[in-house]
Amino acid sequence: MLVYVLNRILQLIPVVFVLSVLVFGFVHALPGDVIDSLAGDEAAEDPEVRAALEKEFGLDQPIYVQYAVWAGKVLQGDFGKSLVTRRPVSVELLERIPATVYLAVVGIGLSMPIAVPLGTIAAIRRNTPTDYAAQISSLIGISIPEFWFAILCIMLFSLHLGWLPSSGYVSPLDDLGLSLTYLVLPALAIGFRQAAYTTRLTRSSMLDEVHKEYVDTARSLGLPERKIIYKYTLRNALIPTVTISGLQLANLLGGTVVLESIFSWPGIGLTIYQAIQLRDFPVIQAGVLVLGVMVVTINLLVDILYRFLNPRVGLS
Amino acid sequence: MERQLRSVRRHDTAAADVTPWKIRMRRVSAVSREGLEELSKSRTATLGGIMIVFLFVVALLTPVLATHDPIKPDYRDRLAPISSEHYFGTDKFGRDIYSRVLYGGQRTIAISVAAVAFGLAIGIPFGILSGYFGGRVDAVGMRFVDGLLAFPGLLLYLLIVTLSREWKLEGFWNDAILVFALGFAFMPEVARLARGAALVEARKEYVEASHVIGEHRFSVAMRQILPNCVSPLIVNATVRLGYMILIIAALSFLGLGTPPPTPDWGADLNVARDHMEQHPMIAIFPGLAICFSVLAFNLFGDGLRDILDPRTAER
Amino acid sequence: MSEEQKGSDAGRASLFSQSRREFLGTMAVAGGAATFGLPRMSRAQPKHGGTLRFATRVDGAGLDPHRNIVYYVSNPMAATTQGLLDIDQKMEIVPGVAEEWDISDDLKTYTFRLRKDVEFHNGRTVDAEAVKWNLERMMDPATSHAFTRASLEDVESIEVDDKYTVRVRLLQPSAVFLGNVIYYPVNLIAPDSVDQADTHPIGCGPFKFVSWKKYAKTELVRFENYFESDEFGNRLPYLDAIEFFPKREDQVRLTALRTGEVDLIENMAFSDVTNFKQSYASEFQTWDVPQVGSGHLNINVKSGPFAMDAPDGKLLRQAVAHAIDKEAIHQAVFEGLAYTLKGYYSEASPWHMPGIRNEKEYDPEKSRSILRKLNMENLPIAVVSRQAFEYMQNTAELVHSMLLDAGFKATNEVFDNPVLRQKYANNDWGIDSTATSYRFEPDGWYSRWILSTAAENELRVGYKNEQVDKLIIEARGTRDRNKRLELYTEVESLVNDDAALIYTHAVPLTSAGTRRLKGYQPAFAGPYSIAGGGIRTAHFEESA
Repeated sequence: MLVYVLNRILQLIPVVFVLSVLVFGFVHALPGDVIDSLAGDEAAEDPEVRAALEKEFGLDQPIYVQYAVWAGKVLQGDFGKSLVTRRPVSVELLERIPATVYLAVVGIGLSMPIAVPLGTIAAIRRNTPTDYAAQISSLIGISIPEFWFAILCIMLFSLHLGWLPSSGYVSPLDDLGLSLTYLVLPALAIGFRQAAYTTRLTRSSMLDEVHKEYVDTARSLGLPERKIIYKYTLRNALIPTVTISGLQLANLLGGTVVLESIFSWPGIGLTIYQAIQLRDFPVIQAGVLVLGVMVVTINLLVDILYRFLNPRVGLS
Repeated sequence: MERQLRSVRRHDTAAADVTPWKIRMRRVSAVSREGLEELSKSRTATLGGIMIVFLFVVALLTPVLATHDPIKPDYRDRLAPISSEHYFGTDKFGRDIYSRVLYGGQRTIAISVAAVAFGLAIGIPFGILSGYFGGRVDAVGMRFVDGLLAFPGLLLYLLIVTLSREWKLEGFWNDAILVFALGFAFMPEVARLARGAALVEARKEYVEASHVIGEHRFSVAMRQILPNCVSPLIVNATVRLGYMILIIAALSFLGLGTPPPTPDWGADLNVARDHMEQHPMIAIFPGLAICFSVLAFNLFGDGLRDILDPRTAER
Repeated sequence: MSEEQKGSDAGRASLFSQSRREFLGTMAVAGGAATFGLPRMSRAQPKHGGTLRFATRVDGAGLDPHRNIVYYVSNPMAATTQGLLDIDQKMEIVPGVAEEWDISDDLKTYTFRLRKDVEFHNGRTVDAEAVKWNLERMMDPATSHAFTRASLEDVESIEVDDKYTVRVRLLQPSAVFLGNVIYYPVNLIAPDSVDQADTHPIGCGPFKFVSWKKYAKTELVRFENYFESDEFGNRLPYLDAIEFFPKREDQVRLTALRTGEVDLIENMAFSDVTNFKQSYASEFQTWDVPQVGSGHLNINVKSGPFAMDAPDGKLLRQAVAHAIDKEAIHQAVFEGLAYTLKGYYSEASPWHMPGIRNEKEYDPEKSRSILRKLNMENLPIAVVSRQAFEYMQNTAELVHSMLLDAGFKATNEVFDNPVLRQKYANNDWGIDSTATSYRFEPDGWYSRWILSTAAENELRVGYKNEQVDKLIIEARGTRDRNKRLELYTEVESLVNDDAALIYTHAVPLTSAGTRRLKGYQPAFAGPYSIAGGGIRTAHFEESA
């Protein structure tokens, strides 16, 4: 196991290297640069000023030199400065990534207590109205465009019912109670979709388990149905559910752009999106790289967890 | 979602690959030969199939069904309610929403299908060759794919679509770029999937056999391995078609979608959100159209999975 | 400089400062009467206190007020700084940090005498040295934004006469330089705070910077030593603090106001304005902010069939102009809220010019006949617009269909800013739906956009008309306002005839807020740099 884990960690190194090359390549291939975007709607920069700025930002160097300089600094933990705010990128990332993680974790967390029982019940009462209702609602959950659902949520819960604030962000470290009230709506918007996925997943893995031999064996031994389901089947069925939720979490790190934009949530997705618009290269590069490393790390952890929970899987 | 399923399963070699290839072949051929019969056994697939057929028929018949020019504005008749003249009312520019939903559907479906096809077209050879040749080719190829997969969520789409804006965009090419961007971002998943299947198949006897009789390696890879990894790809691609529609909508929301006035569900829904309170009808029809199609592809994909993939079968 | 001249300017300044106080009083009362619908009555003294929660459409890009351009009337940082002079509710230039000024006869030397009681937020006095340092930093390409720099491009040198007198020498005569030292583009920051300009800028405006959490919140608190005071001698501003929340979505911003999460919002969606005013008048007040920006269509006249030097360029441009139905844009894009323009300034502006001629009426048949006559039917034209502004895109969308109607082979594309600027540079566009704002001083528009040597004109449109250039330069050297209006009327008439640039609409801007908020009247500059108005005099009604 240990060898396997170490091996997997070593494998991450080339992946992260490739990721860094890819993101650097993408970013520098983007049309236009920060000088254009800072010029804004008006006011052209004359060529000398442009040249001076390019020199200042290091944009005048050949691309591989720029990459080498950047990568060298990143290895020393220096992500450079935002070309727009001129503040250290690491400071910006440290402000934004926790906000997104907070949202994503709570969103997924909210979905589990709804989705797992729903999926289980749907599987147990297969082909009954309960099952159909669960299936249809979860299919609707994954069929609605996110931004539309979010706006409908705001109109319902904030405007008409007046239960929750419509948008905004308060750090949980400043005021946990208040922070949670702001969190509910965006987390709900994430949770709804996640719940839909998880319900479907739980249902199908439950069905898988129910038909396994050990269930028949247990039945023939006269164990009560309830005990079989809750003690054995559900536990096994939850393995893929839990692991896939972990992977979902990784995916959500860059997948909440739309919700962050609607709910004025100062997360990393919104930050990277805005940085792309502004061509703020250091922020895009560092943001994607850090998120990418988080993604591969989560994937690795999930993998290890999966093997740990499910020893049948070989350590090839 | 599918991607996660796969990425767990890809390490779950025991489960995914234990099915003998003959049985798989039989299963695939069953679909092709007795496809309808097989499909009709799954209620979800039937329903999804009917919905998809409906979508495609409507898309094909759009020029007949549409009552107005979808891009012709008339500000004197803007935000009109539902009437016998305008079945779904008119939007903020006075364009007929019914006709826009029809033409938008034609376009949205065409782009989704093309993007998925493009993703498959580059992802499958990439994955199969990588898995088949193994060794260094595989290592380099898969690190590239892993690097792309490490872009979380929408970020890869955002970067590629913004990047492609530089190219001269007009009419068809505009859509082609969107297809490229969506398809390219889909590619890594396909490649992963295809490679997983190819890795297993490559060690099988029949492949060895074809080596012995001296078939060219490349053609072996494509001809022999491809049919055996088709089923998970079909399922993945079907569900992906629905997902593409949602991505197009999200990109529209972020200002990276189809430029107006081309009818597009995502863009129309996005524009309608300003009028959500006074004139909810403008948003409802493109919104429902999106839900309907995503639902159709998901249902059909679920059904297909029941038939093709015993692991998640619902029996 | 003649004594007479000097006297008259000094007199003008003192007249203004006197009238400013009266003006403030009447505005406050008028504002109160308007909001209550009550007869004019004597007003209680506004009390200090309260935190204003203000939801804005955008967040600032960065903090340094010289390096970053503050486009939007909503940018919070505008409340932390101000220029040498202010403007009032009528868009007149009035004393601010500088209380008097002289202009030399040759219009090449401007002497500003500063108030002695103005401080930066760190306690440093705003003196002539500080002003000189600021202007010089704003002229340095390494530390300033091009837009700011452009407003100071005429400056030859800045001299410190004595501690409170600063003298600016210009390269060429200009009667309009005052318009270039008001807030926006000129923002004064404390010279000894330059190291923290990107993290914690120190200005001299009515509010002090506290913190900025990008995309989430900006906090400002009252600057207790701000120099302005009200008619009762109370120091402005009244509010203790302002919290700004950037909320990009129009619907979300409005919802936040309606649910009481914020007290004030700006940039309402056009589609919400009319209904909101009708349905929620009892709970909320609304303000129409006049003349913030003017929308126009630029035609690429640097090259191609529409070029200034193309044989049928002018005729073809006129064909485009005849194809544009401004009424349709007015209704469908601006929901009937905008002013339709014949020149840059709408009738809501003090610089409105009723005598402008040569506006091309909407007549698509005429366009078609021109194209037929020139045998140029289906002439390709690429309509472009900017991603960040919905009204520009919507206008482009309609213009696209109008051009198709008139027989052009039009395409329509939306780009983000960097790409669009590349398209300008490569002449890879046909007609651009765009807008410009913040032209309190008309020379800022004519000299920096219409003049053939203006950088933005050179990069984008390429418009060149010698007669127009001559008139603009003549106006720049003319002190008499009415004479300038005549000259500009002539300029606009020529511009309309050349049809390289087609004015469409003055973009409406509506703010809404709780009824408890009093004394707030955003004007031409938005909420911030209004002498004795806007955010400086906003206060909360005391709860009964």
